Order: sequence, then structure tokens, then C-alpha cells
Amino acid sequence: MSPQYDVEVATVFVVDDDASICDGICNLLESMDLQVKTFGSTQEFLAHWNEDMPGCLVLDVRLPGMTGVEFQEYLVRSGIDIPIIFMTAHGDIPMVRKVMKSGAIEFLTKPFQQEELLSGITQALEYDRTRRAKLASAKSILARYELLTAREREVMSLVTEGMLNKQVAADLNLSEITVKQHRGRVMEKMQAGSLADHVRMADQLNQLQNNR
Amino acid sequence: MKYGIRPTAVAVFFVYSALLWTLLFQQGISYPFVFLFFGAVIGSAWVGGTIAGFLSVILSSVAIAYFFVPPIFCMQVDKASKNYLIAYIICSAAISWACSSRKRAEVLIRRSRDELEERVQERTTEILRSHEQIVESERQLRTLTEAIPQQIWRANADGMMEYCNQYLLDYVGRTAEEMQGDHFFSVIHDEDRDSLRESWANALSSSTQFEGEWRIQAADKKYRWFLIRSIPQFSGSGQIARWYGIHIDIEERRCAEQALAQAQVELSQQSRTLSMGELAASIAHELNQPITAVVTHAYACRQWLAADPPNLERANATAEKIVQESTRASAVVAGVRGLFQGKEPARESTDINRLVRNLVQLLRDEAIRRDVIVRTRLAAGLPHTLCDSVQIQQVLLNLAMNGMDAMASTNGPRELSITSESKDLREIVIRVEDSGSGMDAETTSRIFVPFFTTKSQGAGLGLSISRSIIEAHDGKLWMTPRPAGGTVFQFTLPVMS
Repeated sequence: MSPQYDVEVATVFVVDDDASICDGICNLLESMDLQVKTFGSTQEFLAHWNEDMPGCLVLDVRLPGMTGVEFQEYLVRSGIDIPIIFMTAHGDIPMVRKVMKSGAIEFLTKPFQQEELLSGITQALEYDRTRRAKLASAKSILARYELLTAREREVMSLVTEGMLNKQVAADLNLSEITVKQHRGRVMEKMQAGSLADHVRMADQLNQLQNNR
Repeated sequence: MKYGIRPTAVAVFFVYSALLWTLLFQQGISYPFVFLFFGAVIGSAWVGGTIAGFLSVILSSVAIAYFFVPPIFCMQVDKASKNYLIAYIICSAAISWACSSRKRAEVLIRRSRDELEERVQERTTEILRSHEQIVESERQLRTLTEAIPQQIWRANADGMMEYCNQYLLDYVGRTAEEMQGDHFFSVIHDEDRDSLRESWANALSSSTQFEGEWRIQAADKKYRWFLIRSIPQFSGSGQIARWYGIHIDIEERRCAEQALAQAQVELSQQSRTLSMGELAASIAHELNQPITAVVTHAYACRQWLAADPPNLERANATAEKIVQESTRASAVVAGVRGLFQGKEPARESTDINRLVRNLVQLLRDEAIRRDVIVRTRLAAGLPHTLCDSVQIQQVLLNLAMNGMDAMASTNGPRELSITSESKDLREIVIRVEDSGSGMDAETTSRIFVPFFTTKSQGAGLGLSISRSIIEAHDGKLWMTPRPAGGTVFQFTLPVMS
């Protein structure tokens, strides 16, 4: 484990009860300039990790207590989305199918090739980065949306549905000039450069709300 | 009273009456009319007894002498009438005696008849009472047999069912008629009926009690195990009078016993089949871990060296790790070898034929499932060998399972044959033959090499471990092709000296 561990930087979390395997993977990933943190069990990992730590999980199937497969089920149930790369000495096809269906990125058979591990980790970190970026942008839109007044929100929703100022004015029983003023403030507060931007934000907002 | 007033009164009454009537009649009759006095004597003797009769004879004689024998109205009797009076006295005395004795006899008869009647009455009452007691005690007995929550029956001396208690009838769901005689056997399980009949017949012929465990069908058509016990009751003459039987429900005990036996079979089967497979899996895992670490470190080492500038410090540390992990891997291998060679096996005098028979029993289900016929040809009087029977059983099981695997894709008859024989009284040879398709030359040359396998699920350790076991017992294990197709594995074990 590198001493300059940074929780902001994407990290490969390795869970294997065999310390020498952890050590080997840690050594290899460090030689490729990746930040690594190892754990002897899933409990240790859970005690350390929180949602704000970016990265991926390299998980052994055969673990004391909860097995890797059970741990994946637990994460899915708890709504924790962290990309997982499984590794095992002897995986059977039903097991592989099961974990891949539940969203695992890769299934490695020990001993694995450097490229297999690396490609899995690259994929996993990319997945995590994208997911976090989406989440962050949605969050910032939400934060801006919350600055709008009730009237402005009404105007925004009608405009993004494709209504003209005139129609909006009629619908809300306002003058067209007032609608224009509201609309200008909405664009300013939401930091939308164009109507297209505006519609995209409205979509993301909807998605975020549907996810809740 | 008996000898005084009453006989006197009777005699006086009768004689007085006769006298009055005779005085009345005498008016019209010329000769002395004495017949009514005879009647008075008869009446007195009959009613009053001997004394009254005797008194009436005297009284009537006096009356006749006084009133009717001339000269009348005085006690004088003239000469001519003397004989007449004497005749009367003799006749009346005779009548009195005859009458009173007849009366006495009759009284005696009546008395004894009364006594007899009384006695009969007493006896009858007594008999009635004891009959009631018998009925009552039988009722109590029956209530008892009905109240006991056990199945009870009674059979006659020929073993024919006569009586079944309600508990038994309720259990089998039949009426008493449906259980009479030989019908009883219809509630016994088909597979048990003959054995029960046999035991029953034995008990009947030897007049001894019998017991055994058989299944009885309940009203719901399900069978339960019962301990059936029957005891003969002997009559006074030593003959069997009847049989009493009781059924004790032992279903739960039987189930527990069967479950236990089943568990034991499964356990032994598992511990044997698993031990080889588990061992292989655990060896594979133990070896795979350090190898994975070695490979990963090796990649890392290459990576440190490829960096610009090369990180020699980390590369060096990584190379050190590779050495450590390789040593760990070789320690695992050494441990496995030590498992079979270093340790002296626990040896005891063993009958290999017994091991083979155990094995065949163990394999029965598996053989049926795979449509394989298992044949054994075991030499009689095979000498014992000194061996670790668990390990030898492992070898046998391994060879037999291999043989069955080899026949998995055979279309012809699948026959697994196990033979034993002794050779020169020095060693015994066990052969396990299959009728599969045999092996090609390459397989034959590598079959005992560890981790070589032709099976998708195999670890490739069974035969090499088996050979290690046999060699540790100073025996040999080898294979030859079977002339008629298939393969023969055989091993030797030294005979106990």
C-alpha cells in the first residue's frame, strides 16, 4: 500500500484472504502507477470504504465468512454500485454466468495474465468514472434547479415541453413579456447556453427524480 | 305340648265327634255301630300322631264299652260282646299304628323334600352369584384390554384369531369379523407375511412364545413397524388353551435406526469419495495460490524494470517475493508427498475380500445408476494382509470408479469385475477389470503421472495417489489392456507372515 494514499484518486480495492495474492496484485498495480488498497476480508473493506471513494473492487470468490458471490449480492441489495472484478482458482460456468449477470466487469481465473487484469481494471475504473461524472452533473443541475422559484419552474417545464412563449403565457395566465422575463432568469440560473442545453438538463432532472 | 295336651285334645275331639254321630245313628241301627270310631282313631292317629291314636283307641274302647256294648250305660261287658270289643280294640290299635307310622313316614319324606328344596334353592343362589362375579370380572378384563392403548388379540390353540381389541380394530380399520381366523395376515406387509407365518407356525408347533418385528397396515393404508409378541396359555392338562398377542409400535425406533444406518453408509461413502476429490481440490488450491502470487510478482518485476528509469529497488524486492512464493509452492508439494510416503500407514490384519464386498455394497446404487453390472470372483480362504484398510478401500474405490467412468460411453455390456487370488502364498492379487473401450498408447504411458487426466472433472491424482498407497504397503499397482477390450488394473499386497 502506497503511503501517499489519496481518497480522491481512483483506487483499486483488492479483497483476498491470502496476503501473498494481495501483495502480488498490489505490487503489479503499483508498478503501473495505480493506487491500490488491500483487505483480508469484505468486512475490512466495508469498514474502510464509503460511497465517495472512486475506484473498483478486485474480489476473490473463496473468502472466509461471506463469499465473494454473496458479497456481490449484498452490494446489489444495498444499492451500492462499485464495479467488481472477480478472481478464483476454479470457477464453474454457472457461477461465472451468475456474477456477470449481476454486473461484474470481469471474471479472472488464477493465475491470470497481466493484460487480463489490466484490461478489467481499466474497464472498471472507466465505468466508475462515467457513473460518478453523470451523478455529479445531475447533482449540480439539481442544485441549480433548486434556486428557481415556483413560477420559474412552471415556466421551465412548459418551455422544455416545446411550448411557445405565447402558449405558456396563456396557460399560466400571464403576459408574454412576463413569461420572457421568467424564461431569461431560468436560463441564467440554470446556466443553459441554449434551448437544447435546457432540454437536456430537464431530461437529466427527470431521470434523477425517477431514480429516487 | 307335643306329647301332652295336643294329642289328648285331638283324641278327645275325634272320639267325641264319633260318639255324638254314632249316638245319632244308633237310633236306627240295632247292632253296635262302631265304624265312626275307626274313623276317629284314623283321624287322631293321622292328625295327632302315635300318642293321640293310642289315646283315641282307649277312649273309643271305653265309649263303646260304656254306650254300645250291652249292657249299655255301664262299663260291664257281657260275655258275648267281649270278643267283639277285643276285636275292636285290636283292629283299632292296628289301624292307629298303621296310620301313625304312615303319617310319620310321610312327614319324614315331606321334611326331607323340603330340606332338599331348600338346599337346591341355596345352591342356585350361590351359582347365580358366582356367575355374576365371573361376568363382572370378565367385563372388567375386557374393559381393561379395551382401555389399554395397545393392540391386543387372542387366538385359539390352532392359532386362529378369535378376538381383537378395539384399539387394534381401530388401527387396522376393520371389523372384528374381518380379522377372524386367517384374515389377520391380510394386514401384514406383503414382504413380511411369509416370515410372520413361518414364525407363527414354529411357535404353534413348539408351543413356545414368539416375537418379531413386522409391518402392519393401518386404516390409512400406510405401514408401521410393530414388535409382535405372542404368549401361549396352557390348560390344566398342559395343552395350549389359547394364545395372547400384543403389538408394540416401534416405527419411530425403526426410522431412527434406518436413518442412522443410512447416515453411516452415506458418511462412509462421502468420506471416501470426497477424501480423494477434496484432497485433489485442496492440493490444487494450495498450489494455485503461491503460483498466482509468483506470476503476478513476475509481471510486476518486468514492469518495474521496464519503467524509465527502471525502478531497480522495487524490482529487486519483487524478485525476492518471487523466491519466497516459489518456496511456498514447493513446500505444498513436499507436504503432499509426505502425506503418502513419509508416514508409516496404520496397519492391521485385514481380509481383502471383506473390503471388496463392502465396496460392492457401497457401489450398488452408483452401478445401477450407470447401468453397470458388478461381478466379484473372490478366492476362498484368502490369506490376510497387513494393511491400512481405509487406504486400501480408497484404492479399490478409485479403481472401481475409474472402471465405471471408462465404460460411460460403452454401448456393449458394462461389466465391472473384481477378482482376488493368492499367489504362491506370498502375496495376494486384486484385479479390477472394466469392459470399456480401453486406452490409447499415449494415455497408457501417462496414466500414473500426477495431474494427468482424461476426465473433464478429474484432478488427475487418483491413480498416482493409489499407486503411492500400494507402494507404501510394499505392493505394486499396474495396468494392462484387457484382451476382450477394456482395461485391467491390478495390485498386489504381501501376505501376513
